[in-house]
Amino acid sequence: MEPVLNAEEPKPFAIKKTRTRFLGLTLDETIQTFFGGNAFVAVIVLALITLFLVKEGAQFFTQNRASMTVYRQAGLEYVDLMRQQEEDHIALTRYLFDVRMQAIRQYTDAEGLPLADANARLVAFDEWSGQYSDAIEPVRGLVSELTDVASAIKTKFTIAEDKAIERAQLLDEGKTEEAAAVVIETVDFKTELAVLTGTLPMFKEASVDFAGQLTALLPTAPAFSDAVLQARMDRFVALTRQYLDGFPEVVRRMETWDFEEPIPLARSFTGFIFGRQWLTASFWQDWYGVIPLFVGSLMVSAVALTLAIPLGVGAAIYVNQIATAREQRLIKPCIEFIAAIPSVVLGFFGIAVLGEALRALSQFENLHWIPGFPIAERLNALTAGCLLALIAVPTIFTLAEDALNNVPRAFREASFALGATRLQTIVKITIPASLSGIVSAVLLGFGRVIGETMVVLLCAGNRIAIPDFTAGVTVFFQPVHTMTGIIAQEMGEVVRGSIHYRALFMVGLVLFVIALLINFIAQKIVRRYRISIG
Amino acid sequence: MVTTRTASVSLAPMDSTPSAAPARAINVPQRNEPAGSARTLIEISNLDFFYGAKQALFDNTLMLDEKRVTAFIGPSGCGKSTLLRCLNRMNDLIDGTSIKRGTIKIRGVDIYQPDVDVIELRKRVGMVFQKSNPFPKSIYENITYGLRIQGIQSKSRLDEVVERSLRGAALWDEVKDRLHESGLSLSGGQQQRLCIARAIAVEPEIILMDEPCSALDPIATAKVEELIHELKKQFTIIIVTHSMQQAARVSDKTAFFYIGKLDEYDDTRTIFMNPKNAQTEAYVSGRFG
Repeated sequence: MEPVLNAEEPKPFAIKKTRTRFLGLTLDETIQTFFGGNAFVAVIVLALITLFLVKEGAQFFTQNRASMTVYRQAGLEYVDLMRQQEEDHIALTRYLFDVRMQAIRQYTDAEGLPLADANARLVAFDEWSGQYSDAIEPVRGLVSELTDVASAIKTKFTIAEDKAIERAQLLDEGKTEEAAAVVIETVDFKTELAVLTGTLPMFKEASVDFAGQLTALLPTAPAFSDAVLQARMDRFVALTRQYLDGFPEVVRRMETWDFEEPIPLARSFTGFIFGRQWLTASFWQDWYGVIPLFVGSLMVSAVALTLAIPLGVGAAIYVNQIATAREQRLIKPCIEFIAAIPSVVLGFFGIAVLGEALRALSQFENLHWIPGFPIAERLNALTAGCLLALIAVPTIFTLAEDALNNVPRAFREASFALGATRLQTIVKITIPASLSGIVSAVLLGFGRVIGETMVVLLCAGNRIAIPDFTAGVTVFFQPVHTMTGIIAQEMGEVVRGSIHYRALFMVGLVLFVIALLINFIAQKIVRRYRISIG
Repeated sequence: MVTTRTASVSLAPMDSTPSAAPARAINVPQRNEPAGSARTLIEISNLDFFYGAKQALFDNTLMLDEKRVTAFIGPSGCGKSTLLRCLNRMNDLIDGTSIKRGTIKIRGVDIYQPDVDVIELRKRVGMVFQKSNPFPKSIYENITYGLRIQGIQSKSRLDEVVERSLRGAALWDEVKDRLHESGLSLSGGQQQRLCIARAIAVEPEIILMDEPCSALDPIATAKVEELIHELKKQFTIIIVTHSMQQAARVSDKTAFFYIGKLDEYDDTRTIFMNPKNAQTEAYVSGRFG
């Protein structure tokens, strides 16, 4: 009878949740939350870093504007207008000296004269160039005098500012009496500047006198029998004419100069992004222009990529398409191991071995036909670039090899079946099909290189100046400084919250943006590639 | 007897479209070429083939006829694809493969002799693969690839070959207005015919087809089969197939392989209607495989 009863009363349809809960979560949910939390940490950290960089960096612009305002109000800008005339003249004199060097080389090397004879032939030239370089004296005297005046005004103002800060601190601490005792000398820029602007007639006079001397000198410029030297001399005369034509403009700018003219915030921004000088702890005026560092970073990266692209991509193609299994087992771990070498060790190697070796190599007489040899600086953009290439190779190699691996085997088989050789298949099918992957590998290699710090800090030579690109290829033998290097070098020494500190943050921000852009573009390219393969 | 066997073919479990099968199966015998009317082109004798230490082909001997369609059939792993890929030495691309014994001669030339230029061999023996694999290039570039790698650059010559090959592959009318679009933009069946066009563009003598229709729907399959009938006027075709209907429909001769051995080789009609071997009969009648 029982089975019948069972049939009449079916079992309850028990599908209700019965799981135990901890803090309102089941075990599954807890595990999910744990994993999800870990995943979101990355997002949060990235957001925090961005926020921090922007927050610290953004204040740079107001501080930089304040600094530029003082530069103007204390009359430093005014003096620099005059100084420009002097500096341009120095550049011209240097050009003249360069022509002399070339003439000496010409006489001793090509014509085989002894050095004394060569110098003797240039006596007239030397006298003329002496006159040329001395002509500036009246202007130079005035500039150096006014430099002292302007920096005195600036010092006075800086002291007054420091005192004001001191008083405010004392007041904060409740020491009213001490605060009252702090004497703040207010700076009246207008009266102080009267000394400076009052010299304008003197400057005009000196300038006219100077211009007159140069104009008188030009027609008697020494001539060379050699066509190349004469061409350079003609160029020099033309440059001087151009220089002289600029004189009225200098005077005009000095006449219209107004110390009260406000400095727009945008100037502070462009002054950083396009600034050609990075000058800190200067007695005169600090400049925070990122261009010398940016150019340094780019040059070093260019050297690195020029070496790393053929090496990395070539090795990837070889390993993926040509190598036997045994070669693969040897080459792949070796290249990947390079990535494991600490960059400080590579930098050390760069100083001790590569830099020395390159310089020793450049001393060989037989190699002097190479432009730039012998190398003057042991540590330069090339040394750093060579080592950075080592750092980029594993990245480029691994990602390019992945890209090649993703090319369907069917493409290769189809190509072989049509009677293509291995090389034709690689060049016409495999590489084009994986090109976007290879390009993004190269981009990520670039990102790796531009963010690398230790090697460039140790090996790039760390001279903060835009390299002289007129030197042609030899520009790569000049020392440079980089964006990463400057942060590592200076961050430890700066006062927290100072303009210099903020400027370093801005450099960091620029690096961050570059890295972000590179990664973004690389990802875009890879995505397009995936779709095209279908 | 005859009618029973034909019917059993149409019911074979391999066919994805049983409804279309019976009519076609009846068609078979009429389209097959009579036996013994062709010259032998390929001689395979006593072939032993190894993947590393594993032997895949055992002592295979068979003669393939010129300008005929030969089908290789048999259950998975029976070595039919391996044998096919021996004919243009595609197996050379796989590490560790070797032929330990036996020869393959095409027009009397042993293609495994050291002085054979594999590149030249593959120009003469074209191949169409199981999964259509057009290059990620335009239709035009796909077809001219084989000629360009031989150094042919003349625009007029290439244009001519593209049209001839596409017409040959019955694809011209469908793509003539979009020759410069990607080959991957075509449908599956069109892609496979594009691959056939690409193979015939280099004017091979032999075309190897490795399950060319296994990824296609019945309509596309019918078109490719139609094409094979046309192509055999010019080319010698060897086709590996899992579909016995297909073998029956397109081939003149059929070779049945079982675990690396040639079990039976004869006129297609004989294989399907009057097999000598019990194993073959079991397979073609769908009792195993």
